[in-house]
Amino acid sequence: MNSPVDNVAQLHGQALREVELFLFHEAALADANQYEEWLALWTEDLLYWVPCNADEIDPQRKISLIYDQRPQLEDRIFRLGTRHAYAQRPRSRLTRLVANIVLEDYDATAGGWVSSRFIATEMRHNTQTLWSGRMRHRLVRVDGALRLREKHVFLLNNDAPMGNLTFII
Amino acid sequence: MNQPLIQTSGSWNNAAIAGLVGDGRVHSRVYTDPDIFNLELERIYARSWVFVGHDSEVPEVGDYLTRTIGRTSVILVRGKDRVVRVLVNRCRHRGAQVCEAESGNTKFFRCWYHGWVYDTDGALLELTGDGAYDERMQRNNMGLAEVPRVDTYRGFVFASLAPAGEPLDTFLGATTSVIDVMVDASPTGELYADGGAHKMEYRGNWKLVGMDGYHPVYLHASVLETMHRNPDAGIGATHRSNPFTDDAPTYTRDFGHGHAMLDFREHRLKQYDQHSAFLQKIPGGAEYIAAMHAAYGEERARMLLAISGDPHLGLFPNLQLIHNQIRIINPLAVDHTQVTMIAVRLGGVSDEINAQRLRQHESFYGPSGAGAPDDSEIFERVQRGMLAEVNPWLDISRGMARERIDSDGSVVGRMSDEVPQRGILRYWLKLMTQSA
Repeated sequence: MNSPVDNVAQLHGQALREVELFLFHEAALADANQYEEWLALWTEDLLYWVPCNADEIDPQRKISLIYDQRPQLEDRIFRLGTRHAYAQRPRSRLTRLVANIVLEDYDATAGGWVSSRFIATEMRHNTQTLWSGRMRHRLVRVDGALRLREKHVFLLNNDAPMGNLTFII
Repeated sequence: MNQPLIQTSGSWNNAAIAGLVGDGRVHSRVYTDPDIFNLELERIYARSWVFVGHDSEVPEVGDYLTRTIGRTSVILVRGKDRVVRVLVNRCRHRGAQVCEAESGNTKFFRCWYHGWVYDTDGALLELTGDGAYDERMQRNNMGLAEVPRVDTYRGFVFASLAPAGEPLDTFLGATTSVIDVMVDASPTGELYADGGAHKMEYRGNWKLVGMDGYHPVYLHASVLETMHRNPDAGIGATHRSNPFTDDAPTYTRDFGHGHAMLDFREHRLKQYDQHSAFLQKIPGGAEYIAAMHAAYGEERARMLLAISGDPHLGLFPNLQLIHNQIRIINPLAVDHTQVTMIAVRLGGVSDEINAQRLRQHESFYGPSGAGAPDDSEIFERVQRGMLAEVNPWLDISRGMARERIDSDGSVVGRMSDEVPQRGILRYWLKLMTQSA
């Protein structure tokens, strides 16, 4: 018979596994440039935030690389889906690893905040580019399934000149 | 013996350079030849007025940032006397850079190599082990070098590495009233270049950035399609309908000195009511409109609000004022360019108005924007294409027959005309063939 401590660990393990599988699924859709399917992971209210120049900036006073609420994210996905988003023609080929996943302020029933790290390798025009950083996901449970309400991406190089970051990071 | 039309190597003489820019055409070597690039650093970046920064970037005593004038690293710093100086970032002893940080606040600059210390006004404060020197070491004359000429217009700090040359106001000419459009988008005339910077780089020549009203319909078709979905989305909220057709009251303008503008003023004034309604939906919008009318009077306020602080002006060689950004073009190599897009904040308006301007900027500019990455993509494609030596000429003749001269002396064409390209290259040629 399991001790109460074992039960807590087991429940935590189950919650972590569910979150992991969600983040892996999100990463796979982004890697495959499946924009519409990726967008479907999100809740109606959302924030997709990639700060610029530093990690902790006030987005109301400083520009970000991406600060999308639903209308802006829908425009982004719409534009990428047109035939004229030339910085994604050809599209970036991507493969990313998501790791160091930690349930921060998280409840298996309601959801909460999850932190992680990633490395994304991008191949385009015969050039391989490495992207990496920290992520913070805010997940909520809607109709039994996890959905994405907020995603913050803190790129390691967000203070440096960069080329083309038009794919889903 | 056949004389090659274009020199293929070695030193370029003035006649050969002059042969690169023709009537409505330009040779690819202007953008691909490393020797031409080195001459540009010498004859353009080391002589002309070059934009360094805005004085609002260093508001407090000791605030500094580092920038480059061609290959020369400089420090823009506000001294204890509150004067903003442009100092050469190079220790007077053995040449190490004394400041490696991009920006910050300091009481002094200390060279890590042998410990020499300089004041924020450049003066040498500490000469380590100075018993080793006699009177031949002129301490008073060993401060960080100041850039020979520095002048400002409405907070925009320009510097020239050349001790002599035309004054800044002659260089800027009629563009000052266009620069005003950006600053006077604030009812208090206060512009703060403190909204953060998008830094992009592309593998292409620095002059490819240019100023082009022909490409948006084609290269940015995806953005125009997005604007059709929602007229208030992104930069659509400034452009309002399609200003890039030849029947729109929008113009290209060449001010001389390589300064060029996409002039949207007349078009946007026609969209004033729509733009005003858009602003009034933002908290503080109605107050902003009222403050602008009180500050500038109805006629000018309407124009300033309609144009939305977007002069769409390029000042040769390295500054552009576009939408909500101060853009610096930084040549790294003949085929490598860095572009810094500094977002500005208006004084005297609500935080919500400024935040909306940041969101609008992000929508199009920066590495994840809907527009700027497509620009970089095509610049790189142009750079690769230009390496072809068969028919190496680029055509820039569009609208040559319909140019006219405006009352302020500027050359004016339709929005899609290549007036800016011709104007920029005319001035480029003048600088490149001028003796020192």
